Amino acid sequence: MIIPKPRRIILYILLIFFAFVFLLPLWADVTTSFKTVHDLIYTVPMQPPLSPTIEPIITAFNTMKRPLMNSLAFTLAATILSCLLGSINGYALTKIRFRGSNTMFLLFSIGIFLPYQAVLVPLVLTMSKLGLYNTIAGLILTHTTYGITITTLLFRNFYGLIPDSLIMAAKTDGAGTWTIYRRIILPLSLLPFVVAAVLQFTSIWNDFLFGVALARGSEAIPASVALANLKGTTEVTWNVQMAGALWYALPILLIYLVLGKYLIRGYMAGAIKG
Amino acid sequence: MRFPSRKGFTKDSLVTLLFVLPSLVLVGYFVYVLIGWNVVVSLSDWKGLTPSYNIVGVGQYITLFQDQEFLTSLTNNLILILLFVPSSLALGLFLAILLDSKVRGEGVFRNIFLLPFSLSYVITATLWLWMYNPKVGVINTLFQTIGLGFLQPGWITDPNIALVCVVLAIVWQFSGYTMLIFSAGIKSIPESQVMAAEVDGASGFNLYRRVIIPQLKAPALNAFVVLMVFALKVFDFIYVLTGGGPGYSTYVLPLLMFRNTFSMNQYAYGAAIATLLFLLALVIVIPYLYLSSRREKD
Repeated sequence: MIIPKPRRIILYILLIFFAFVFLLPLWADVTTSFKTVHDLIYTVPMQPPLSPTIEPIITAFNTMKRPLMNSLAFTLAATILSCLLGSINGYALTKIRFRGSNTMFLLFSIGIFLPYQAVLVPLVLTMSKLGLYNTIAGLILTHTTYGITITTLLFRNFYGLIPDSLIMAAKTDGAGTWTIYRRIILPLSLLPFVVAAVLQFTSIWNDFLFGVALARGSEAIPASVALANLKGTTEVTWNVQMAGALWYALPILLIYLVLGKYLIRGYMAGAIKG
Repeated sequence: MRFPSRKGFTKDSLVTLLFVLPSLVLVGYFVYVLIGWNVVVSLSDWKGLTPSYNIVGVGQYITLFQDQEFLTSLTNNLILILLFVPSSLALGLFLAILLDSKVRGEGVFRNIFLLPFSLSYVITATLWLWMYNPKVGVINTLFQTIGLGFLQPGWITDPNIALVCVVLAIVWQFSGYTMLIFSAGIKSIPESQVMAAEVDGASGFNLYRRVIIPQLKAPALNAFVVLMVFALKVFDFIYVLTGGGPGYSTYVLPLLMFRNTFSMNQYAYGAAIATLLFLLALVIVIPYLYLSSRREKD
């Protein structure tokens, strides 16, 4: 398509305008995070700091340290577990196709779209009964369970592309279900594992609802809840709050920069943000 | 499990069972048993700290529809859906079309537009708190700097426009996602079709209107369902940005459910709202799953 020149100029003006709008909140977060209280008063948020300081960054880290560690612990564990279970389910749904596999798939698909409010009250009761309320283990169990639905879908879609003839050949050679999974399916699974892991890590790390419902004390409180609580305390100034947001965003920004194309594949696979 | 009758229960079918059993138990309990349990709670008279399972029937649901807080939250939820879903679809489509014009730095723009979608709602709500702060926030000080100082809206502190402010911010967060879905749809249209239309004299706006946009029904439907379900269960973002205020101007059902359940111990009331949310989600999702399973078979 060859578009006349004035049109190209308008096109770029629009693109740059939207890029500005999309980046403005993030830019203001970064500038504010490095400002002293003096600069907060004498500069507008968009301006870079007059005398940059890392004081707010350090203060925010000290407040958020434990919650960030908590989030890292349950996010990593639940990511690994939900990916392993999703891989096994995806294999069972595509290559074994047992009776009831269609029903299982439908029930899992509904689980993907489930508004978690619909299970929240009984979930809190269950976790209390199990002694898992306000524990990292409770959050691992919760995030793993609700993550399985989407990872199963991801692995199912991917394993659907592996030719059945490959499985048939292995079966003729006398390989059993487990051997086929370990020797044929798993070695072909690096890509779906990366896609599912990146997607799970970001959505579990970003969660707020389960965290605020299932964790109260410092033992298990996630970074999302800690950041939301920063807002409530009046002595916290904007620079510390913005620095807190920066700390909590850091792992996601790193993933976005390094593994962004896998995250996009996850979004494309019908991924739903909680 | 397919148990071949001549072999009976083989080692392989046992392995299959062991494969899917943990997930079936987890999802079965934590999704389906808990949904049922929640319905039971909604039919009870449970208030306060100790569970009470006196089943009182659907009275709670009738009370809901006579309750002003509930009706306000429901209305806000519907307004939010009506404003947010079409705007995100339109802006996403617009961005996808802009990027389809052989743009230099296409990847950079794409990554910028999608970035907000990858962030937690707690982060984006924190960013928009700073954007919307009426005295020292990003937007109003920017307006002053560029000579628009007479424009000093109260943003989220003004009950008349607070809900619109919430919508603007979540459109900002989601239109990168809809752009992504539409871009993929546009890329999947065969080059030859576009060229044929160009030979017929279609170009620019007409090319999109006649040839490209009509072929984006499937991606539009996918994005539509994701946006609808999100708008129905929107919680974190509003909880952090406005907390439902000022007054009840940005209260939505998930927020009302959460406050009543966890701050006021109105468990039966909260459970009733949660059940309604689930039913509304099913109304959106079941036809969608039915359509996509048919499409998969074709």
